[in-house]
Amino acid sequence: MAAPVSIAHTHVHSVRVGSGAEALVARVLSADGIAGFGFTLNLEAAVARDMAAWDALARAKGVPLHGLLGGSYRKAVNLVKDELPAIPPDWTALRKDILDGRHELLRIDPFAWGSVEMVQTIAAVAAAFDLGIALLAPNAHPWEIQYCAALAATIKGEDTKIISRKEIKEKEVSVPDQPGIGIDWPLEPSFSRIQWQR
Amino acid sequence: MAALAISSIRLARVSIPLTMVHAGSMYVIQKTERTVVEMTLENGAAGLGETWGTPDVYALAQRFAKELLGKDALNRFAFRELLGKSTYDNRFGRNGLATLAGLDLAAWDAVARSLKMPLAELIGARRRESVDVVSTLPAAILPKAGTRKDLTDHLDVPANTKLVVEFALEQARKSGFRSFKLKSAAYSPEWDWKLLNELREALPQARIRFDPNANYGAATATELCRRLDPLGLEFFEDPTGELEGIARLKAAVKTPVATNMWVVKDEHLVPAIRRQAVDVVLGDLFMWGGIDAWRRMARVSHAYGLKPALHSVYETGIATVANLHIACALAEVHYPNDSGLHFLAADVVAEDLPVKNGAMALPAGAGLGVTLDRRKLGKVTLESVEIHV
Repeated sequence: MAAPVSIAHTHVHSVRVGSGAEALVARVLSADGIAGFGFTLNLEAAVARDMAAWDALARAKGVPLHGLLGGSYRKAVNLVKDELPAIPPDWTALRKDILDGRHELLRIDPFAWGSVEMVQTIAAVAAAFDLGIALLAPNAHPWEIQYCAALAATIKGEDTKIISRKEIKEKEVSVPDQPGIGIDWPLEPSFSRIQWQR
Repeated sequence: MAALAISSIRLARVSIPLTMVHAGSMYVIQKTERTVVEMTLENGAAGLGETWGTPDVYALAQRFAKELLGKDALNRFAFRELLGKSTYDNRFGRNGLATLAGLDLAAWDAVARSLKMPLAELIGARRRESVDVVSTLPAAILPKAGTRKDLTDHLDVPANTKLVVEFALEQARKSGFRSFKLKSAAYSPEWDWKLLNELREALPQARIRFDPNANYGAATATELCRRLDPLGLEFFEDPTGELEGIARLKAAVKTPVATNMWVVKDEHLVPAIRRQAVDVVLGDLFMWGGIDAWRRMARVSHAYGLKPALHSVYETGIATVANLHIACALAEVHYPNDSGLHFLAADVVAEDLPVKNGAMALPAGAGLGVTLDRRKLGKVTLESVEIHV
């Protein structure tokens, strides 16, 4: 499920980021000509396209992502090191485990779960069951952390935080307030070298 | 980013006559009272909202409105935090959440208009263009509003059921209704049994929901609903209460069981899921406390196999259209919407909102897609106030 935007064209590129890893970067052109971008380091293009559709809509409307989702619960999100495994993206299993009381904190990799809508659904269930959500930036890439912050803004609860596998200098991340999903694309020089079609 | 600051809020308490007497187990009424909300942003955009029209809610709305002035309408999540859990919840019972919902709706509309999006898109997506709506069938067709005694005297005459059947057929003929909600006075299971059989025979294909508002005891309700099972009704709505009684009843029947009484706010959901108490959460936008709360309810319900549906009473075109947007926006909603607008003798919006072929069309344009008609509003206003910086 992507953003409610009429999409004219989508295009996905593979790029090499500074760390040497491969990232997929998607561009969505909305019907009214606004471009939005999304990315992933897990090589599943669908999540990058979903993100790009939300980015295009949010840029077209001049609001941050949380402005399209109903609001923001916080201006900054705690960022902590956490090595415990994230919950595999199996919704049937997760729903049952929640009901069986097997979780207190849901460690969710939004890139693995695939869409803004899915994260919102998990967040609604977590709120109903009074569970916390930790969004995993799987490679601790700055883009990942920024995207997690944009999502975390909309997730209720004092326990909401971003986790990464390694120690990060910053202890909290600001919720992006610029139009779009809030990624600082020039952080990776390879982004500006992508040759987009049309 | 320019915040969409709230600059003024106008409230009007209105009283609108119904075109006929509506009787159920909780009321015999011939008017509806609502509070109409107009919220203006600093950018000039205005949004419409609506909530209950009791003097208590109207007073609370003024108090909450003062708190919201200058706040960013883009951040509706903050409204709840701002007004405080104890304020909207504990201290004022359901009035707090209902008041919040009316202001919240106006903010959603104002933001959707500012962003040039239909409200449905801002909630989720514009997935469809029309929604089937349910025609309420009063427990009995009474000549004028009266006491409970007038109602029960009428119900003591079994032949009177035919008036309700004729009324249902007229609704089907006039507006193509395919879905009906029979209100029950919960006075006589024999009346309900006879009437529902006659309705089923007269309207063999129709969806029929049956709503005694939990005024039958669990044993009586379970016995009645077991007998009604073969009629293939759409669902039993609050056949009894509370959560425990309705859960036992659900386990005893095949027809789905719905509630808009025992699962009406965030913290009711998980106990209902664990107890497998109901099949359908017939959520009322005002009881749940606003659009995001309703949307979260729909997501959680769907995640655990429950079906969310839209409850409403006798609401103006504002709330009626808001419910259409919610139904069109969320993939989790499949049941027809409750709607009482066609029973109102007057409305406050300019647009005509007819029921055709049993459905209402989602208005075009940004936000709710309806506009306030000040002349119409003036005619039904009991009192009004403007709150500004």
